[in-house]
This record gives sequence, structure tokens and C-alpha cells, in this order.
Amino acid sequence: MTEAVVDYPQCRITPLRMLKPDSAELLLNGIVEISGIRRMTINGPNLPRTVPYGPARGKPNPNSNRKFITVGGSEFELHVQVGTIILEVLDDEVIEKIRALCDRFFTKFPYQLQTGKKYMKTQPTVADYAKYGPNADLRMLGLTDPRNKEGPVIIQGR
Amino acid sequence: MAYKPQYGPGTSVVAENRRRQMNPDIELEKVRDVTDEDVVLILGHRAPGSAYPTAHPPLAEQQEPDCPIRKIVEATPGAKAGDRVRYIQFVDSMYNGPSQPYQRTYTECYRFRGIDPGTLSGRQIVECRERDLEGYAKWLIETEMFEPALTSIRGATVHGHSLRLAEDGLMFDMLQRCVVGDEGVVTYVKDQIGEPLDRAVSLGKPLDDTWVKAHTTIFHSLVGSSYRDDEEYIEYIVRIHSLRTKYGFMPVEE
Repeated sequence: MTEAVVDYPQCRITPLRMLKPDSAELLLNGIVEISGIRRMTINGPNLPRTVPYGPARGKPNPNSNRKFITVGGSEFELHVQVGTIILEVLDDEVIEKIRALCDRFFTKFPYQLQTGKKYMKTQPTVADYAKYGPNADLRMLGLTDPRNKEGPVIIQGR
Repeated sequence: MAYKPQYGPGTSVVAENRRRQMNPDIELEKVRDVTDEDVVLILGHRAPGSAYPTAHPPLAEQQEPDCPIRKIVEATPGAKAGDRVRYIQFVDSMYNGPSQPYQRTYTECYRFRGIDPGTLSGRQIVECRERDLEGYAKWLIETEMFEPALTSIRGATVHGHSLRLAEDGLMFDMLQRCVVGDEGVVTYVKDQIGEPLDRAVSLGKPLDDTWVKAHTTIFHSLVGSSYRDDEEYIEYIVRIHSLRTKYGFMPVEE
């Protein structure tokens, strides 16, 4: 029998401009201080380590936007230019706290905060089944690309 | 009465800019200066100062067939010298970029000779003989057809024209071919295919919002002028759409 899936509220932060690593680090560190966040995904266009195609294929791709940042004490490398941040939270009050933080943070350009329940996967798809099997950890779904060898970053709660 | 091309419909600034770029009688505003060496570096086809590699002997040295067309059309300098065919490819941001693929192709066809443009949704490539290309590329970079932050020279991995701009105002580039320096100057650190340059090439500061809005050839309802506001353009497009739909059935204007 399948477990009952609890639909937690989700929200998506979309700034008008794509963020640089320093700004993203600042914003994410503000966000992780808010308690009640279950899962978080950073989305944006890929910044590959090597040139993926074209005449220079395979050559190194130095890019100042692909950088190590520290969020909530965990260090990880940004693989994308931060375009949107998707969060799954425990209740709607947390979303309001995130909104208040974003209002304070985005002063140079506007942002949009969308709320709903469909920005991040909550149930396994066939691809997830093939990758994780029948007893997949529901918290891990949709956090990383199933084809990617690197797993999600775990930020410890305080 | 002699035929006078109209170049395009519309009453908006965007329509006027499109006509200006296409009309070869209008000299476009020169916005920046780049050296020939800068252009060669960004193109990345040959080392600056080296001779042009050739694909065939110069036309003067070979026996040409007796062809009436060859008598009418004079060969371009690159074709005369037997240069290789090389390319430059541009990507323009949809956020008020100064040109866009179709516009570039029209403009180049009206203004240049001996070219083979390729028009795609997010990028536009033009191929021609190498020494002709360098001249054309210089013109395309120096005039108002180029804006350092919103236009990019990308031979490969072109993704970015429809994405939101970065915080510093640059269009997204996976290979980060250009960077904004401390003084706000956009500098190319890689050539168009993404190989690091021996020396950085500066293309000046991004132009301000007013200039960008006044010189764009892209309609954008959120950041620029809306397509629907240009009634003449809409009327023209509706007419073309209607005629091409009826074509083959009853191609008659009612």
C-alpha cells in the first residue's frame, strides 16, 4: 500500500535578474535561517565545467559564476546561474516570512514570489522508480537530476 | 516612377529602427571604435597579423570560364584573393537588443555583398570570404547594430537570448565570453567559440536604458514597446497572414 502523501505548501522565488553567486549566497543564507523549510532547489541555466559542444568541445570553461558558496555552514559548488529558488515549507506562515525576507533583499530589481503545490515533485515518477526503487525517500524526489551523480546538499537545521 | 523600397511597415520606434538598419542609404550611428586586430581576435579564425589562408588561387591567376554573370558581377576582394569562407554569429537579447536574427539578415542582404546569412530563432550567422567578413564584422560591432551587454558574438553555445539578464545587465552566456570589469567596461576574454584570448578585447560600456530603448528593433511588451501598440504593423501582418492562408484557394484581396 502506498503511503499517504502530505502536500506541503511550496513557493518559487523568481527575481527579475539572474543572481550572481555572492547575491545568491546572501539570499540563501537569509532563507535558511527561517525555520520550517523542508526542501529547497536552485534552478537556472547550466554552467558546465567544460565546453559541451562546438569547436572548443571538451576544453575547460572557466566561469566566475560557477563558484563555491557556503549556505548554512554547508559548502557546495553552484552548477547554475541562480534563476529561481523553489522551496517546500511546513506551512503558509513560513512563506510569509520568506516573502518578508525577499522584500528586504530585492531592492535593486523586483522579484516575484509564487505560491502553490506543484513546483517540486512530491511523488515518484517512473524515472525516480528506476533510479531509487520502490522505497524511495520522498524528501529526495525532485531535488537533483536523477542522472546526476552528485546528490543533494544537506543543510543542518538549528 | 522608380521603385522605392519601403523596407517595412509600422509607426513605432521599433519599426523606424528596423527601416533605418535595413536602408543602405542611411549611415548608421558609429557608437564605438574597435581595431582590426580586436575583430580578428574575437573571430578566432586566424592569428592577428598572419596571412589569409586560401581556398583556391587568386582569380587573376586562374583561367575563368567564359561566363556572362562573372562579367556582370564583380568579385568581392575576398573572392578575388581566394580566401576561405569564415563566419561570425550574433546573439541578441530579447530585452531590447539592438537587432535580432531576421533583422540582421535583412540588413546584411541590403548592405553587404557576397554573404550567406543563416537565420535561426536565437542566433544569426553570416558566412563570407574571410577578409570581407572582417570588414563586415567591424561595421556590425562598431555601429548601433551592437550593444555590449545585450548583443554577443558567439560561434557556439549560444543559449541566452530569451533568458532574464544577469544582475550586472549582461545576457546569460554559458561560456562567459565577456565580463564586466570594475569600471563597467565589457571585455571579451574568450573568442567566439569559447577559447581564451591572449589579450582581452574591450568593447566599451553598456549603453544606458534610454539609448537601448530608442535603438531596439525588438518589440517587448514588458520592457520596451508593445507589438500590439503598432497598429500599422498589425494590419500588415494580418494582411500577409490572410493572403498566405488563402493562397492556392483564392489568392485575391477582397
